[in-house]
Amino acid sequence: MSSEERESIAEYAVSFAERAGADYADAFVERSRGRSYALEQGKLNGSNYYDKEGIRVRFVKEKRLYVFSTNRFEKAAIAHMISMCKRFDGADTVLSGERAVNAKCRVGERRKLADSDILKDLMSMDKVLSKVKYIKFRSVYAGVGKSDTFFVNTDGSRIESTMPSAQSFASIIVENGKETRQRFLQFGGVGGYELIDPKIVEGKILGEAKALLNVIEKGVRLSAYELKNVSNVVIAPEITGIAVHESVGHPGEADRVFLREAAQAGTSYLTKDNMGLEIGSPAVTIIDDPTIPNSNGFYLYDDEGVKTRPRILVKDGIQNELLMNRSYAHFLGMKSNAAARSDYYSNEPLVRMANSYLKPGTASLEELISEAGSGAYIKSFMEWNIDDTRSFSRYQGSEAYLIKNHRMGKPIKNYQLESKTIDFWHAVKLVGRDFELSLGNCGKGEPMQGVPVTMGGASALLSFGK
Amino acid sequence: MYIVKQAMLKGCDEAVASVFSYRISYLKIANSKVDSIVTKDERGGSLFVSQGKRVFSTNIDTLSGPNVAAAIRNAKRNLAHLEPKDDYYGIASGPFKYRKQEACDSRIRDYDNDTISDIAQAAINEAAANGADNVAGTLILSRSSETIATSKGVHQAEDSAHARLSIRAFVNGLSAQKIAASKRLKDLGPAALGRTTAELASMADSNGKVTSGTYDIIYMQQPAGLLFSMVNEMACVGNVETGGFLMGKLGKTIADKKLEIYDDGASSKIISASRFDAEGCPTRKTQLIGDGRLLTYLHNNSTAAKYKTKSTGNAGLVMPSPNALVLEHKNTSKSIDRLISGIDKGILVTNTWYTRFSNYRSGDFSTVPRDIAVYIEKGRPKFAIRQVDVGSATGIRISENVFRMLKSTVRSANDTIQTASWDSDGYFVTPSVLVTGVKVTTA
Repeated sequence: MSSEERESIAEYAVSFAERAGADYADAFVERSRGRSYALEQGKLNGSNYYDKEGIRVRFVKEKRLYVFSTNRFEKAAIAHMISMCKRFDGADTVLSGERAVNAKCRVGERRKLADSDILKDLMSMDKVLSKVKYIKFRSVYAGVGKSDTFFVNTDGSRIESTMPSAQSFASIIVENGKETRQRFLQFGGVGGYELIDPKIVEGKILGEAKALLNVIEKGVRLSAYELKNVSNVVIAPEITGIAVHESVGHPGEADRVFLREAAQAGTSYLTKDNMGLEIGSPAVTIIDDPTIPNSNGFYLYDDEGVKTRPRILVKDGIQNELLMNRSYAHFLGMKSNAAARSDYYSNEPLVRMANSYLKPGTASLEELISEAGSGAYIKSFMEWNIDDTRSFSRYQGSEAYLIKNHRMGKPIKNYQLESKTIDFWHAVKLVGRDFELSLGNCGKGEPMQGVPVTMGGASALLSFGK
Repeated sequence: MYIVKQAMLKGCDEAVASVFSYRISYLKIANSKVDSIVTKDERGGSLFVSQGKRVFSTNIDTLSGPNVAAAIRNAKRNLAHLEPKDDYYGIASGPFKYRKQEACDSRIRDYDNDTISDIAQAAINEAAANGADNVAGTLILSRSSETIATSKGVHQAEDSAHARLSIRAFVNGLSAQKIAASKRLKDLGPAALGRTTAELASMADSNGKVTSGTYDIIYMQQPAGLLFSMVNEMACVGNVETGGFLMGKLGKTIADKKLEIYDDGASSKIISASRFDAEGCPTRKTQLIGDGRLLTYLHNNSTAAKYKTKSTGNAGLVMPSPNALVLEHKNTSKSIDRLISGIDKGILVTNTWYTRFSNYRSGDFSTVPRDIAVYIEKGRPKFAIRQVDVGSATGIRISENVFRMLKSTVRSANDTIQTASWDSDGYFVTPSVLVTGVKVTTA
């Protein structure tokens, strides 16, 4: 479908909904296409190609929200879907008033995806990995794609976007004959092939594999008593990131706070009665920023047509703002901060994170370790989880080290950082000046939607004062 | 069949084409009200082809002659550049005999907004009448049809429809969640689901704390399904070959002797089951664990040929995938109350989520109880565990190893149901089970 046809059908849908009595309507047309390759233990599991196009229409009529999606572009089919949406006895939905936007958003590719020989690069990387004896099992994946979208609503917004993306995954199991350790790694973002440069990805995987082997061969196991008495912990950006995402980002999503997601992705320790809660120490400022160029969570306009901006979730330790869509913005008497995202045209936009991070401070890693004196340094994780309200989490150290006499010591095999959220963020004593983001796909909703995000920020010293 | 013929005319060795349509509505319940209704209506197709052990798959979004031709041209172009998959041995050769297609429930097939609102409201009302101060959930009504054709003699169609209702009830700061699913709307029981979910959330008279340590744990059906279905997932031979925890365990004793685990793709009552798999092979019920031993892995035709065995009806065209967990235990108590009565120090876990492995090779994982968990002492429920005084937070974590869990699953209750979990794509047919000596840490 040409871009003119795409715009024409979207405008028809919005106009039909309006004629059918909708107080508000929007339409989102998306064409996405791409290809991917997966190698498991060196064997190519073929190739997959997709080229899909569809439309999502949302409208609010008599304060009820209706959403439908289809890949049938006939006007009659769309009119039928809108007509089928009969009023139900339920909750009121009112959207915040937002400024109309007319925009075009095109992300460029420094290295063209169409010109890249992904398969050749993936196979040559796999060949290198296959020669590393201690990488016992390996799965590698690479995929590239492009999404062209058009959004229109009854407020007068018209937004056209083109977003190329590149993704690469690796799963490795390192073994020395006696013991194994596993790691998942993800690379990529919104942009061209440069985001999954095979040499950079290969180097990162090899480095991670070597570090895991070092943990296996030289690592020590701490006793239960020793583990309990680790009071100073330095966390690397990967750990900071997962903690930011799970214990600050998610509970700061308005649809969890106000229980729309209660039967799906869960609730929050934040409630209407504790807004402005002191979540952490004054050293903690946490931001969610969709505008970071080429990041996995990049977007400039959300799926409700609202221009985005960095959202300061926690400022100097105090909960500052929730992630909101237009519905929750109206509910709270505010403007939307553009957090409505869907993974695909066929799903409804939900309140989501984008790129969440702990704002860097001034300390070097050496200063964080030195300040800790003794304790543990966690560089990466494999197992993690958190409870429904996001109050109690655990991050298992995949690569972790002892800190002794103000210096980094031996690797630790069995360190797990398990704590209450409020204790965790109040323990932040010093924040590093480094900045790194890790990729993820964040699941929410029913049907489950996985949207691309990043998480990270700076390293930090946590002192639990045991 | 047209797509397959065209692909074969263009020189492919094999072709599998699937044409589908579906309409699914998701009604969301929030704050004890119907929040919104989202409907998806799609049709399309897919094509899998192989040539000289090279394999390629694609979707065909719009099923017109020119689009099919373009998809086949694209497939051929890609095949020419691929490396052969040396261990690929082809799709299943038909024709096959299949179980009879059952008629879809017309009430699900022809639903409208009024029908789905009424079902949701019945559950909300009954939960509220039984003490729920807030109710959340999702009602899904789904109807779909699929036709599959292959170059090896398969041409079959299947229509299906099902309803699934998830209810989470909050009672005095505690919560419970249950999921019912059925191919017959009359068997969904929304009112009963609302009532029993609210009753579960309020089953303990008081709250209390436990210490980190070892407990006997009863997993109700939903968490049992979620945890034990990991066996089905990891029995798929693709996961075995990449170092999953069942690698090298075939024929070995890995479980309690009275625990039986099946993968069932054939039952007409299981939502995720169908008459044929992705290559048209008839599905079946496959016993994975019996007499304590791992009996087989799950295969499609190609992986079965590689391992000189027969397909278990679990295609996945490139790699096998599981159908549905069926768990049985020969050591059965009459009820969950009887199961509780035999425990000296334990925990009843009603729901869990965020099950994450530290190492798929060793089978070490942890999981977090999400809704009410009840401390059991001397055969009686004593209190609801509240380690963190925030919302419905329970604040305990279970650290486990798959093999330790399988060997310590010593008894079940006689309360088997079909259920599911928000945290998984699958369906489970399982009773509540007792696992002894489980490590628990607390907030």
